[in-house]
Amino acid sequence: MLLLTFGVTIAGLKLGSFDTDFPTVWNALFNHNAEDPAHFAVLHLRLPRLLLAICVGASLAFCGYLMQAMVNNALADPYILGTASGASFGASFCFFAFTNLTVFGIYLPPFAALLGSFVVTIVVVALGTRSGQLIPSQMLLAGIALTSLIGALTSLITFLSSSEGKLKSVIFWAMGGFEKASWESLPYPATALMLALLVFMFMEKRLNVLLLGPDRAKMLGVNVAQTRWIILITVSVVTGFAVALSGPVGFVGLIIPHVTRGLLGITGKLNLIFCALTGGLFMLICDLLSRIVFPPAGLPVGVVTSLFGVPFFVYLLLKKNYKFN
Amino acid sequence: MPETLSFFQKFFFSFLLTILLSGCGETTEKTLSDSAQKVEANKITVTDDLGRKLEIPAQPKRVMALSAAMTEMLFAVVPDSLIVARTQVCNFPEAALKKPVVNSYPLDLEGLLVLKPEIIFTEDGITSMETAAKIEQLGIPVYFQKYEKVTDIFRGLNDIGKIMRRETEAQKLTDSLQTELNAIENEVKTQELKRALVVINTDPIYVYGRNTLMTDKLEKAGGQNALQENFPQQSPQLTREYVLQLNPGFIFGISQVQNEAFFRLYPELKKVDAYKNKRIFNLNDDLAARPSPRVVESVREIRNYLQK
Repeated sequence: MLLLTFGVTIAGLKLGSFDTDFPTVWNALFNHNAEDPAHFAVLHLRLPRLLLAICVGASLAFCGYLMQAMVNNALADPYILGTASGASFGASFCFFAFTNLTVFGIYLPPFAALLGSFVVTIVVVALGTRSGQLIPSQMLLAGIALTSLIGALTSLITFLSSSEGKLKSVIFWAMGGFEKASWESLPYPATALMLALLVFMFMEKRLNVLLLGPDRAKMLGVNVAQTRWIILITVSVVTGFAVALSGPVGFVGLIIPHVTRGLLGITGKLNLIFCALTGGLFMLICDLLSRIVFPPAGLPVGVVTSLFGVPFFVYLLLKKNYKFN
Repeated sequence: MPETLSFFQKFFFSFLLTILLSGCGETTEKTLSDSAQKVEANKITVTDDLGRKLEIPAQPKRVMALSAAMTEMLFAVVPDSLIVARTQVCNFPEAALKKPVVNSYPLDLEGLLVLKPEIIFTEDGITSMETAAKIEQLGIPVYFQKYEKVTDIFRGLNDIGKIMRRETEAQKLTDSLQTELNAIENEVKTQELKRALVVINTDPIYVYGRNTLMTDKLEKAGGQNALQENFPQQSPQLTREYVLQLNPGFIFGISQVQNEAFFRLYPELKKVDAYKNKRIFNLNDDLAARPSPRVVESVREIRNYLQK
């Protein structure tokens, strides 16, 4: 999977508006000439974009896997905490409320999206908690209700806007994309993902036991409450950073964990790493496809993830006789 | 006076009424630019720029437009007293601001019913066919105009003049605009073409494509659209890399595009010649975006920037 991701990344470095062959890509990376616009495009535009696509895909798939394990529900994805709707609201509010979107050299929408996702997630978690104990079913319902409410508020501020340009910005942001990827922003989601992967590599057994249900997990010595809180905090932070930079790309967090379980089994040892790598590769391929099919800007990546991913997902469900737990 | 009419009287009035009504059915022929039209009673049939046949009053007394550009065109050709309303986005000329507002999006159908315009003018791309159909269900014809070249605007003005029976005024206006335009073109025709990119939206980046009125305005102002590739959309979305590869000598921003903010958002684009040579300008929103009688003013504004 790593080799495949590497191969597709190298192929992706060739794809763009400047005509670049492999020697040019090589030189851009290892004999970089800052004055050559093609070298600049390879190193500063294409590579961060590809890495962000991998990072966001991996983050969403990984968080989807965690959420499905936590609530023991096949329909869970990272967005059930209201992360996507909160981020969309934050970004939309920012687009409509501020004339100048860059303050002190900082582009505000990703920060507003991050803030929105955290605030909504905290409210959903608070609503899903009783006496300090997380109640997954209550949290799911709170997530659905709050997502609807925030969605309505986002629609309202969109409707009240008189600027066609701002409408375009909001709509495109909501469909997801990696065009604004940069070396400056990449470390945030990448660091969050790496740390989270590291933590959960040591907690994989706990996750598998959680799939048996909270009661049996407790009987087997798992501190269910603590595990749930760790998952919740991880998912909020990792998804928040991913969504803030790329917009809420749908479906990856739902289907890739199922693909992983379908291919490696429900409690496979390498499930988490494989899930993250598959999510990254899947998103990378979707981004490249979107730009090949509809150059130069590409289709919104969320459209491609659904068009490309759903048929494969359905095939997997039917052919493998796959069950969630 | 008898309370009922005799058989003879009824027959006489029926005969008279039949004669009168049959007289109203006579038709005469008129020509409206390229579109065929027929006069039928006090109605004429015209064909708009989208090829739709419409039956409109022979001499409309109550009109309005659903786009800001067309409101400007109406005010340039038609007496103010015949224009019954404006939309929420119509802000020019000043006389337009005194007219009642009918919302164009979402469309205020009740407002239209109250003001009862006899014909509504609009632009292709501004009003959807679905909206036009709704308006026409109220018995109000919707006349579409379409502009891809500056001369299409002049033709549009003349068409409005013919529909509104103000041919002379419209012709005078377009002649004078054409003279001004010719003067600008003559002035810049020996100069080197300057490649310019006109940014409509920054996030994502949208620019005016090749087959647009803006391209024609740039050419008339002594420039050239830096975007020469044909795209399915009139205003395509571009990536940062595509803009870098185009390397325009000038960048014009319209609408909410703010030059400094644009380059803060995409610092990579500071490598293009336009940024290096400080040839980045904001165009007047309304002049740049509206295909209005102020089109020559817009060409002049672009010409002035291209000469800097």
